[in-house]
Amino acid sequence: MIQRLLPSLSLVILFVALSLASPYFLTQTNLSSVVRQTAVINIMALGMTMVIIAGGIDLSVGAILAMAGLLGTMAMEQGYPIPVGVLIGVLTGLFWGFVNGLLITRLKIAPFIVTLGTLGIVRGLTLIISDGLPVHRIPQKFSYLGEGNLLGVPFVLWILVFCAAAVHFLLEHTRLGRYAFAIGSNPEAALYAGVPVAFHTTAVYALCGLLTGLAGMIEASRLMTGQPTAGQGYELQVIAAVVIGGGSLRGGEGSVIGTLIGAFIMGLLSNGSDLLGISPYLQQAIIGAVIILAVTVDELRKRKLAR
Amino acid sequence: MLLELEGIQKRFGGVVALRRGDLRAEAGEVHLLLGENGAGKSTLMKIVAGMVQPDGGVIRWRGQPVSFRAPAEAAAHGIAMVHQESLLAPHLTVAENIFLGREDRLPFGWVNRRRMMERAARLIEEHHFPLQADWRVERLSPAGKQLVEICRAIYHGSSLLIFDEPTSSLSEAETQEVFRIVRTLRERHMGVIYITHRLEELRAVGDRVTILRDGETVHSGPLAGLSTEEIIRHMVGRELEAIYHRECLPPGEELLRVEGLSRRGVLHDIRFTLRAREIVGLAGLVGAGRTELCRALFGLDPVDGGRVFVAGKEVHIRNPRQAVAAGLALIPEDRQRNGLAVLLPIGHNLTHARLKAVSPHGIIDHAAERRTATEFIERLRIRAESWRQLAGKLSGGNQQKVVVGKWLFSQARVFLFDEPTRGIDVAAKAEVFHIMDELARSGAAILMVSSELPELLQVADRILVMRQGRLVVELPRGATQEEVMRHAMLEREAGVRELGS
Repeated sequence: MIQRLLPSLSLVILFVALSLASPYFLTQTNLSSVVRQTAVINIMALGMTMVIIAGGIDLSVGAILAMAGLLGTMAMEQGYPIPVGVLIGVLTGLFWGFVNGLLITRLKIAPFIVTLGTLGIVRGLTLIISDGLPVHRIPQKFSYLGEGNLLGVPFVLWILVFCAAAVHFLLEHTRLGRYAFAIGSNPEAALYAGVPVAFHTTAVYALCGLLTGLAGMIEASRLMTGQPTAGQGYELQVIAAVVIGGGSLRGGEGSVIGTLIGAFIMGLLSNGSDLLGISPYLQQAIIGAVIILAVTVDELRKRKLAR
Repeated sequence: MLLELEGIQKRFGGVVALRRGDLRAEAGEVHLLLGENGAGKSTLMKIVAGMVQPDGGVIRWRGQPVSFRAPAEAAAHGIAMVHQESLLAPHLTVAENIFLGREDRLPFGWVNRRRMMERAARLIEEHHFPLQADWRVERLSPAGKQLVEICRAIYHGSSLLIFDEPTSSLSEAETQEVFRIVRTLRERHMGVIYITHRLEELRAVGDRVTILRDGETVHSGPLAGLSTEEIIRHMVGRELEAIYHRECLPPGEELLRVEGLSRRGVLHDIRFTLRAREIVGLAGLVGAGRTELCRALFGLDPVDGGRVFVAGKEVHIRNPRQAVAAGLALIPEDRQRNGLAVLLPIGHNLTHARLKAVSPHGIIDHAAERRTATEFIERLRIRAESWRQLAGKLSGGNQQKVVVGKWLFSQARVFLFDEPTRGIDVAAKAEVFHIMDELARSGAAILMVSSELPELLQVADRILVMRQGRLVVELPRGATQEEVMRHAMLEREAGVRELGS
C-alpha cells in the first residue's frame, strides 16, 4: 500500500521540502509559473497515458507539438482569427496521431518504430515548411492561452483540469477506455473477445495527437512564437511522467491521477532546482535518476503482488 | 538411496506452499510425483534443484545432508531439471545448447566448434535420440526441445533427472518417445522424478509414487497394486464419483454446419455439423489441424473456401468480431495468452466480449457491470474474493471459468473448446466438464478439441477424428481409444519423424 502511495507521497514531501528550503517557492508567482511550465508536458502526458495503457508508445509527440504550434501560428500570421489558428494546431495533432495509429494497426509494426519514424518525418516537414525560421507575427491576444488568468487562476490550469477530467472519464467510464485497458493488458485476448482492436488503437493514438496539438498551441502561446524546433526531447519527459505515475510500458496499467502526479513531481524538481540554484545539467541527471527509482519501486510492488 | 527429503517446509509470504514434503528416490527407478495444482509438487522439486530455498526440513543426497543455494550447486551434485517450458537458447544449435556455459575453450575465447559438434553427435547417437547436432533449436518440436535438455543433463553427468510435466504439450507419439527415453534412463541406473497430471501416463513409466496434497506428502509407495481410484482419492482427499461420466441428451436443432471448409495446406474440405445440447469431440494428433480448424471457424485465419451456417443462416466470418457476433465462442488452449487479461479485474474480463450490453452509448454502467459480474461468479462458482480481484490471481480452473463466463455473457451458442483441461488438476477438470455439461444442457453446441482421449471418449456424444488436415471419420459414443488412435494415425509410424522440424 505504501508503495502504491509513493508517488503522491513524494509529491507532498517535495512540496513541503521546497517550501522550507526556499522563501520564493510558496509564492503565487512561482506556483503559477510551475503550473504554466508543467501544463504543456502534463496535457501531452494525458494523451500518452492512454497510449501506454493500450500497450503502445508515441515517440513523435515532441515533433507533433512543434508542427502544431507552427501551423497554428502561421494561420494567425496569415490573418486567420485566433480560435481558427488554435483549431488548426489541434487538428494537426489529431491528424498525425491518426497517421500513427493507422500505420501501427495496418502495417502491424511496433509502435516504437513507427513513431520513431514519424518523429523524423514530422520534424523534417516542420523544418521544411518553416524553412527553419520561427513565426513571430502573432496577435498579442494569443498570449492569453498560455499566460492569462481566469478567476485568478492560470487559464492553462483550467484547460489542464478539463482535459484531465475528460481523459479520466474516457478511461474509466467509457467503452473506449475499457478496450484500451483490455488491448494493453492482453491484445490476443482482446482480439479473441471480438474487440475491434485496430479501431480503438487508432482512436487512442489520434486522441494523444489531439492533446499534443493543443499542448503545441499552449507552448506557442507561452513563447509567442511558432518554433519549428520546439518540443525536442519532450517525448521523454512525457513518457517519464506517465511511468513515474505508475503507468506500465507493458500496457494495461496507468491512471490520470498518477500521470498528473508524475508530471508535477518533474515540474517541482526542475522548479526547485532553479530556485536552489542547482545547475540545469544536474537537473537532467536528477530527473533521470527519479525515473529509474520510480520504476524500480513499482516493479518491486508488482513482483510482490505476483507471488 | 539417491535422494531423501524429510519434512521440507516452504512458505511464500503468508501462503504455505509446503507443510511436510517427504520423498525418497532410488537410482534406477522412476518416481512419480503426483498432486493437484498448488499441492506443492513444483515447489518441492524447485527446492531439490536449488531454485528455491526451503524454510525447514532435511535434504539428504546419497546419505549426506546438503543444502543448495543455487541451481548450479544442485547441478554440481548431479541433479538436473527438465522444464515444462523450455529454457534453451532458440537461435543456437542443438550442440551449442548442450554445451552452453561449458564449451571447450581455446585461448582468446575461441570455441572449438567442430569438436563440440562431434561430441554432441556421439551423445545423441549413443541414446538413439531423433536429433541432429547442427539443428537449430527453434525449429524443434516441444518434444525435441526436451530431448536437448535431457542431453544437456546427461552430458553434465547428472544422476537424478527431474521432469516437470514433460508431456503436457506433446502429441501421443511424442509422449511415447519421452516414455521410451525415460525407460532408457532408468536402465542406465539414473534416478528419475516425474511430475505429471495425466493419470493415464502413470502405468506406462512409473515404479513408485509420492502423492502431495496441500503441501503434505499423503502417500508414498510402489505403483503396483495402487488403483487409479485410490490415487485420485489421495490427491483430492475425497471420493470423486466418476469425474468423466456424462449422460447424453437428445440433440436439438442444428447450430453449426460446416461445408467444405478449406485452407490450402492446412484444412481440406472439412464437413460436419453441431447440434444443440451436443458435445462433439475432435481428436487427432498434434498437427492434424484441430486448432487450425477452430481458428479458421473463428475468423483468426483466412480460409480459401467453404461455407459456414450458424443456426441455419449462412455467415461469412473474416475476423473474431464477426465470429462473436454470429454467436461463436473460442476458448483457446493458452488461456493466459489468448483468453484472459490477467492484469484486469475478473468483472472486466467477464464483460469484454459483450461490453455493449453494459455500456449504452459507449458509457459504462458500472452498477450493471457489477451485477453481471457477481451473477456469473456465483453461477459458475468462481472462487474469488470479489469481482474486482485480478484475473491473474485465480487458479487455472477458475481462470477457465472466467473465460467460459465471458462467452456465456456474450450469448454465444456454439462453443469451441481447445484443450480445455490441459494443465489443470483433477478436481478442476471435473468442474470444467460440469460447466460444459451445463452449457450443453442450456442448449449450446460444443466442439471439444482434446488430446486426452479417455476424457474425450467419456464426455463426447460423438467423436470426429482429424488427420493431416482432413476429417477422416466420425465415431459414435462408445468408440474405443484404439479405434480413435487407429484413424488418427493410420499407416503413419509413431514417433521419430514428428520430432524433427
